Amino acid sequence: MSAAQPMHNRVRASLAPYGLLLPFAVLFGLFTLYPLARSLVLAFQQTFGPEATRYVGLANFAALLKDSLFWVAVRNTVLYTLGSVLIQLPLAMILALALQSKGVRGKSFFRMLLFAPATVGVAYAAIMFGVMFEKQTGLINQLLQSVTGRGLDFPWQQEHVLWMLILASLWMFTGFNMIFFSAALANVREELVEASTLDGASAWQRFVHVIVPEIRPVAGFVVLMSVIGSLQLFELPYLILNNSGGPDNRGLTIITYLYQNGFENGDLGYASAVGWMLATVLILIAAAQRVIAARRSVA
Amino acid sequence: MKHILLKGRTNWPAMIVLIIAGVVTLVPFVWLVLASMKTSGDFFTSTFLPRFEGKIDPSRLTLEHYRTLFTSLDLGRALLNSLCIASVGGVLSTLVSAMAGVALACYEFKGKRLATSVVLASVLIPAPLLLAPGYVLLHQLHLLDSLAGLILPMVASAFGVYLFRQAAKSSLSKEMLEAARIDGCSEWRMFWIIALPLLRPMIGAFMMVTFLGAWNNYIQPQVVLQSPEQFPLSVAVTQLKGQFYQDYGLQMAGTVVSIIPVLILLSLLRREFVAGLTAGAVKG
Amino acid sequence: MLSLGPFSPGAWLIIASAVVSAVLLAMAKPPAKSEATMWTFARMHALMYEPLVADWNKHNSPKVEMLQLGLPAIERRMLASFFSGTPCADLMEVERRAVARAFAGPIESVGFVDLTDRLNRDGLLEKINGPSFSPWSSRGRVFGLPHDVHPVMLGYRADIVEAAGIDVAKIETWDDFERVMRPLQEMGGKGERFALSMWETHGDHLEVLILQAGGTLIDEQGAVTIDSEINRRVLVRVSDWCAGPDRIAMDAPNFTASGNQLKVAGKVICAFMPDWMGDVWKHEMPELAGKVKLMPLPAWEKGGRRTSVWGGTMLGIPKAAATSPERFEQLYAFASHLYLSQEVARELYRKGGIITPVKTFWNDPIYDQPDEYFCGQAPGRSYINLAGDVPLRSSSPFNARALDHITSALVRLCEERRSGALAQDAAKIETRAAELLKLAQAQMQSKAERNVFLSHAAEASAGHSAGVSEGGGR
Repeated sequence: MSAAQPMHNRVRASLAPYGLLLPFAVLFGLFTLYPLARSLVLAFQQTFGPEATRYVGLANFAALLKDSLFWVAVRNTVLYTLGSVLIQLPLAMILALALQSKGVRGKSFFRMLLFAPATVGVAYAAIMFGVMFEKQTGLINQLLQSVTGRGLDFPWQQEHVLWMLILASLWMFTGFNMIFFSAALANVREELVEASTLDGASAWQRFVHVIVPEIRPVAGFVVLMSVIGSLQLFELPYLILNNSGGPDNRGLTIITYLYQNGFENGDLGYASAVGWMLATVLILIAAAQRVIAARRSVA
Repeated sequence: MKHILLKGRTNWPAMIVLIIAGVVTLVPFVWLVLASMKTSGDFFTSTFLPRFEGKIDPSRLTLEHYRTLFTSLDLGRALLNSLCIASVGGVLSTLVSAMAGVALACYEFKGKRLATSVVLASVLIPAPLLLAPGYVLLHQLHLLDSLAGLILPMVASAFGVYLFRQAAKSSLSKEMLEAARIDGCSEWRMFWIIALPLLRPMIGAFMMVTFLGAWNNYIQPQVVLQSPEQFPLSVAVTQLKGQFYQDYGLQMAGTVVSIIPVLILLSLLRREFVAGLTAGAVKG
Repeated sequence: MLSLGPFSPGAWLIIASAVVSAVLLAMAKPPAKSEATMWTFARMHALMYEPLVADWNKHNSPKVEMLQLGLPAIERRMLASFFSGTPCADLMEVERRAVARAFAGPIESVGFVDLTDRLNRDGLLEKINGPSFSPWSSRGRVFGLPHDVHPVMLGYRADIVEAAGIDVAKIETWDDFERVMRPLQEMGGKGERFALSMWETHGDHLEVLILQAGGTLIDEQGAVTIDSEINRRVLVRVSDWCAGPDRIAMDAPNFTASGNQLKVAGKVICAFMPDWMGDVWKHEMPELAGKVKLMPLPAWEKGGRRTSVWGGTMLGIPKAAATSPERFEQLYAFASHLYLSQEVARELYRKGGIITPVKTFWNDPIYDQPDEYFCGQAPGRSYINLAGDVPLRSSSPFNARALDHITSALVRLCEERRSGALAQDAAKIETRAAELLKLAQAQMQSKAERNVFLSHAAEASAGHSAGVSEGGGR
């Protein structure tokens, strides 16, 4: 009996992972993998409902590569990503450093306050910023007016769409990224910092030579998540710009373009092709990051 | 708490940076709340507090918009819908992801490598790509226009599995499970008695992450739901813009109603939220 | 000590809220199943129809329940229903841009019931103003009842204009308009005032002007016609208005607080006013009562068209809802009650300022009643006088995108002019406008040619299409 029980348990142990995975596997297969496969098929079709579907081979992808509007969307999205990552992450780092330094009062208050915008949904932020950026009556213009004596006499939605989006996402996500940096800073080994202080290193030298190498894995993660998130920008511009790409399509993003084609033009095949192009790029970026990180940890 | 760059008493440079950032963060919130309590006329003539004959006059603030929202526009039902979607989705998703995460972290089985890489790769799939085929699927399953049609797809979260796999790797060991097994503990009991309590920080955090995600989700309910009485806040409130485009106070009041519950939740649970959120990255 | 198990207090809070909210929702009464539903997108329409629908429900069946949804929501559900058979309303009131999307596939796959023969049998193709059918017709078939004519006039601040001793009757063309209005403008400092409320970013404005000038973006055969002589003329002229050295336009966007503020403050003197806009102004800018008047649009050349068209709505019956011929008859009866009865036509005008497309009702005295908001003018009569001249609206699924492209061209042209890149050299501006239009044309064409359903159909039914628009036409 006592000898049989471990045997019995071993059989159950070998079945257990499947049992634990089952609910996830069923729902994941049904609601992610199956639609994903369907979308792959769709990418090779042109369709207007089930009765009107034709296979068009690679025509969707070929048309996409020649589609100047798609490239406008790519350009906007990349610019937004660069803008938001290059401004947001250094700012988040500065805030995290300020938060971690000695002699700061109300740390947990500041941490929560700065983080709070991240919990505001994009849809709500879009409503808010849409009104805030309006010409004349908008908050931003009123502030500009009171500081410089002159507001912009055209709405931000015209020439400065990308800046508007970058500013809005700065408000929403800087605190969010700060939280990650500050968790990483809290894990920096104190001995290293102490040692470098004794060596007479300046604050900047300490940052570059001690802190950066220590927080590199987290920084890599944060950069990757920001890039991937930014490349999928959609609801913010879509809602602020009243369900459009904005004037001269300056606020058109890749996902907005996907959505416009699929849900507004009913061109589901083309939309799938857009989505698959983006997915491929995202996977390549993530793979590249893994390779780089792995190389570093070896070296 | 460690002090990394600067030493001294009150660290004014750092304080100033934080105060500036804090004010910039706070201004839109203050503006939003005040805007939600102003009549249209006052909205246009004042930036923050309403003015009367040139003087600031806080007595002109009104709760009229909130009254309208909850009486004639029935936003209460939308609030309840949002609460249901976010909390039921959060709970189920946490449980399902924790189970799968533990399976991937603590067991050896056939197909584990494949399962792991499929899950990891699918974190990167842009969700809108699945919108159209997912819609047809929900129709075939008779789940369109139901809260279940919103909740079920979010239950299987690849990101959740990833997070729980990380957490389980660092806080659970195979030896621990083996020991329990020798004591005659069943695998299912083991999951509840040993694994889950050790994953407690991640459970709290992930439940809140999914709660937040579902609460703030806009596109999915917009596509899946048809009847207005099913709408969550995100859809109901963004529709105000189409219906009352001129009435900014009302739209802002709807926005306040939508973000207040989340801010309350955040302030109650800030510690576990932040700890769990960052755990994935720091230990990753 | 209280043991919380694997869940923190926060987690328990969420679990509790899951249980409570699920129970509350389970207890909520499921809405009564209605006999028929109708979707509409405009709040104003919903308010207007409410008493009419209530009246119908008292005496007729099926009883109709009306739901107001956002336009994007209706649009998406409409397409989803046509694509995959998901449920939709029995009657759908849809705006022009959305309807066009239903026409992107083969003609037999259009999700609305083809009403052409029925309309013909009832003599409605003659009774209703011809151009009103154009947005609901594809390849020669009509798929909805038209709601409106939507002629466009120019609304102007009579108080300002008349105080300056100007007689707008002397304005016949846009040239006259510029000359007469310019002295009223003020520039520089805080006292800016411009003659016309329009801006290069508002595609609506551009389409109004293009259609008035006789231009098209997509012609009736479905060909892309962005790059045309007429369109280029309009483009250059509008860029003069928005970005020229003597600009006359200012951005006072409709449906926004800032735009309304500018209008109330008299910073802009004139604005495009389709018949439905009067009602919007009355609600949003009651301060302007007794200060606004209407005049026909100035023409592009002497004797040219003095109106245009903006917007449009139809009522359609989805094929999925017309489950049997009897059911179709019932729904059609309701649709005609709502859209084609004289009583409703009056209501439409009284509450919404919209003139009916049914020509036989046009002699109704209601249209001659003076309106105090418009200084005692009778807007109804003025709009009806222009109704026959309203240009055709395209029903092409590509029209919206084409408008997007040509608007982009205009935005660029204006910005290049403002930045000084084109100096004020008329020849350079012309050339650049031509280049931009050519580009827009090429972009749109490559998009349109991708559609395997329309490119074939366009050839096959080119003949038909001309037939119907004449049959229903002037």
